[in-house]
Amino acid sequence: MRIIGPDELVFGVDDVAACREFLVDYGLMEKAFSDEGGRFEALDGSAFTIRKRDDASLPAPLPTANMLRQTIWGVEDQATLDAIEAELSKDRAVEKLADGTLTTRDDANFEIAFRITRRVALDLPAELINSPGAKPGRAPNVIGANDEVEARPRTLSHVVYFVPDMDKMANFYVERLGFVVTDKFTNTGPFLRPQANNDHHVLFMIQTPEYMQGLEHVAFHMQGPTELMLAGSRMVQKGYQSFWGPGRHKFGSNWFWYFNSPLGTHIEYDADMDLHDGDWVERETPMTKDAAQMFLFENVEKWVPGGPPPKK
Amino acid sequence: MMATEDLTQAVELTEPLCHLSELVDGRSRGFDPLGEGRDTMFVVRQGERLYGYRNHCPHYDQARMNWKKDEFLNGARDRIMCFAHGALFDIASGECEIGPCLGQRLTSVKLTVRDGQVWISGPYVPGRPRRSS
Repeated sequence: MRIIGPDELVFGVDDVAACREFLVDYGLMEKAFSDEGGRFEALDGSAFTIRKRDDASLPAPLPTANMLRQTIWGVEDQATLDAIEAELSKDRAVEKLADGTLTTRDDANFEIAFRITRRVALDLPAELINSPGAKPGRAPNVIGANDEVEARPRTLSHVVYFVPDMDKMANFYVERLGFVVTDKFTNTGPFLRPQANNDHHVLFMIQTPEYMQGLEHVAFHMQGPTELMLAGSRMVQKGYQSFWGPGRHKFGSNWFWYFNSPLGTHIEYDADMDLHDGDWVERETPMTKDAAQMFLFENVEKWVPGGPPPKK
Repeated sequence: MMATEDLTQAVELTEPLCHLSELVDGRSRGFDPLGEGRDTMFVVRQGERLYGYRNHCPHYDQARMNWKKDEFLNGARDRIMCFAHGALFDIASGECEIGPCLGQRLTSVKLTVRDGQVWISGPYVPGRPRRSS
């Protein structure tokens, strides 16, 4: 099953204008917008679609506070779509749309879809650093601190769900769709990656009571730690509410900075996530403060040392 | 259930939050009474009634609720919303009606209006408790 990762998330929101304001400031590119909703893309075309909560074209909502209405997974090719259709049709209704997209529900009752990915391959530089003992990342006279640059999310990284039964949920993605468990927080949930993506996780879940089911957070990959810090600090300066971060996670190693959003979920900037292949051996640990992050900081107002000259 | 506050760290405020006329009817506004660098409480005005709550969602310890400065209400502005996970709260009671903290309620901040100024009634606990040395 050559699944790549989340291609697009579809939301039914209660304040379209607020969501537009947030997503544009977050760094996504507005591709379509009206009073009824809009579409906002990362650099590779992975996207959020927002519509009014009562839009009849949306899949049915969960009976919770969750605003996510559909997760669309991108796959490599038609053969993968055909294999998914054959597999999931064994025990559930799978609808094929005119453009070939498959829609169905997973074993936790989340609306999911599969399509040949609309992501475009990116060819962009990584964050370049100079480090003693290593070949310089930046040539002489190339400046690293440029606060004029854009900070744009490159691609949808991962989704995290609140689920009533983590084993049932994980088993669906592992046994039916070929996902692999990379690590696990005991009694909380596993980190999963699909076969066509080496990222540590594109899917994580947190076991909760049924009334909490929904999207816990969603993340986009940034160029690197500096771009993440720049993007997050710009969000704070614009008045957005930081929820957690900046910091660096342990499992996955990704830098993180989470913000509250009018989409009723955290939206995370992440950067520099570990890659894994079939040789990796799953780790497991309880989800503690120390397991959740290597370090954690909080943005403060800019400051400069100084003051009047010393008295003679 | 309601979060209990550590009153040993409470501070008596000597300044009002704002003038009543600065609070817009039907809207919310965040406040940082102790100058901690973030809004640790908010007020919702409905006509002449004011509702004050701590900016802590009962779902997670110290979870901040707003999505942007002063934005604590849903689109229809008839519920308080936590923009961490979409929980909705009754404005008058602070009770969670749907969301991760169902059955719990926000921590109320009692307010009084004197000479047109809005004051916190009684001592106020910092948003992030001081670490014990």
